[in-house]
Amino acid sequence: MIWEVFRQAKPGKYHQHCGNVHAPDREMAKLFAQIQHGRRMQTNSLWVVPQEEVSEVDSDEAAFGGATDKAYRWAMTYNRVDASFAAEVEESEEEQREAAKAQEEA
Amino acid sequence: MDIEEVKERAGPRAFSPKDDLPEEYRKAATRMIQFHANSEVMGGYLDKQFTRQAPSLDRKLACTAKVQDEIGHAQLLYRAAETLGVKTREEMLDELEAGEGKFLNCFHYPVDSWYEAPMIDFFVDGGAMRRQATLKATSWEPYAHAMDKVCFEEGFHVKHGEDILRELMGSSRANQEKVQKTFDVWWPRIVQFFGPPNKDSKHNDFAQQVGLKTVSNDELRQAFLNAYIPKAEKYGLELPEVPKIEYDERSERYELEYDDLDWEEFWTIAKNDFQGSDEQIGSRRKRHEAVAWVRESMDAWETSQRAPQAAD
Repeated sequence: MIWEVFRQAKPGKYHQHCGNVHAPDREMAKLFAQIQHGRRMQTNSLWVVPQEEVSEVDSDEAAFGGATDKAYRWAMTYNRVDASFAAEVEESEEEQREAAKAQEEA
Repeated sequence: MDIEEVKERAGPRAFSPKDDLPEEYRKAATRMIQFHANSEVMGGYLDKQFTRQAPSLDRKLACTAKVQDEIGHAQLLYRAAETLGVKTREEMLDELEAGEGKFLNCFHYPVDSWYEAPMIDFFVDGGAMRRQATLKATSWEPYAHAMDKVCFEEGFHVKHGEDILRELMGSSRANQEKVQKTFDVWWPRIVQFFGPPNKDSKHNDFAQQVGLKTVSNDELRQAFLNAYIPKAEKYGLELPEVPKIEYDERSERYELEYDDLDWEEFWTIAKNDFQGSDEQIGSRRKRHEAVAWVRESMDAWETSQRAPQAAD
């Protein structure tokens, strides 16, 4: 039986798919996941899910909206103007930059 | 807690729903946050016009994204006001469409041209953001928390607004003249955005004593003028002669002739009695009625999800 494994690196972060393990039951799957996926990378928590419990919808069946470039939503996009004239605008842009970076790393 | 203790303990994020607060504080906080929430809704309504007027697809996308943000801010704020236990979110929305809800002066003037976009999206939003940044230190914790999220998003609005101004002022002479003409009309309203001078403000002292406001109208206006007059000049805009504003080298402050501003119009607006108020509030009321079916079907769905009661 195949179990899909999701790893969370730090508390509060998302669990992200990192591979799978073959195991006869849930307890063994958790143990194998620890050994195979929890030791080399920083790990706070692991999820194991029976592969048949994962449902999929792919781009053959659905049109995903995520292809649209959403750059217009970010302060950093408007780089022909300078935010430094107002501390609160500069701070907001900095927070957005941090959030975008965190999203990219996730 | 009595009002004296509130004044003593007032500080950034000092009070939360677990505190037993006197009615005077809860009512003052409700009035202030409801005003703010209403202004987000009405600002969003004013702004939606710019999606139609925007000259490019990029601008249209940014304008719709901004309206979506503003309506989201209103929701956050109505929730923060609701936690005071004075009015429900529904009551506040009903008051707004009935013409009883108060909101910022600049959102009582209907807009119809793209040249007005930088007036709202750069100057008015910039002023609002300056004020909101100081409210991160308000004494009502849920309000301050809402400001964290609001200020995070506003940076995009203000920079986008400035980018529109930059673009228009870097284009044809005809465009530059139209922006200047629009600025002449909007500038006095923008200066009034921060409300009456401290001496004429009804609620300022109490709001500061209990930590709801951390900075007075006049101080905020001063900070705004300091940051935004140089910006206007940078893009080649000239300040209209009225109201008279002079920079005092010694005090490093802009001295404003308050009596040059139309306070009669300001106070008419404050009562929702201005002709533009009718138009703007009516637009909101029509929308609210048009989507009544969504609220009804959501309520119906929620009712149908409740577990059936046992017959015995």
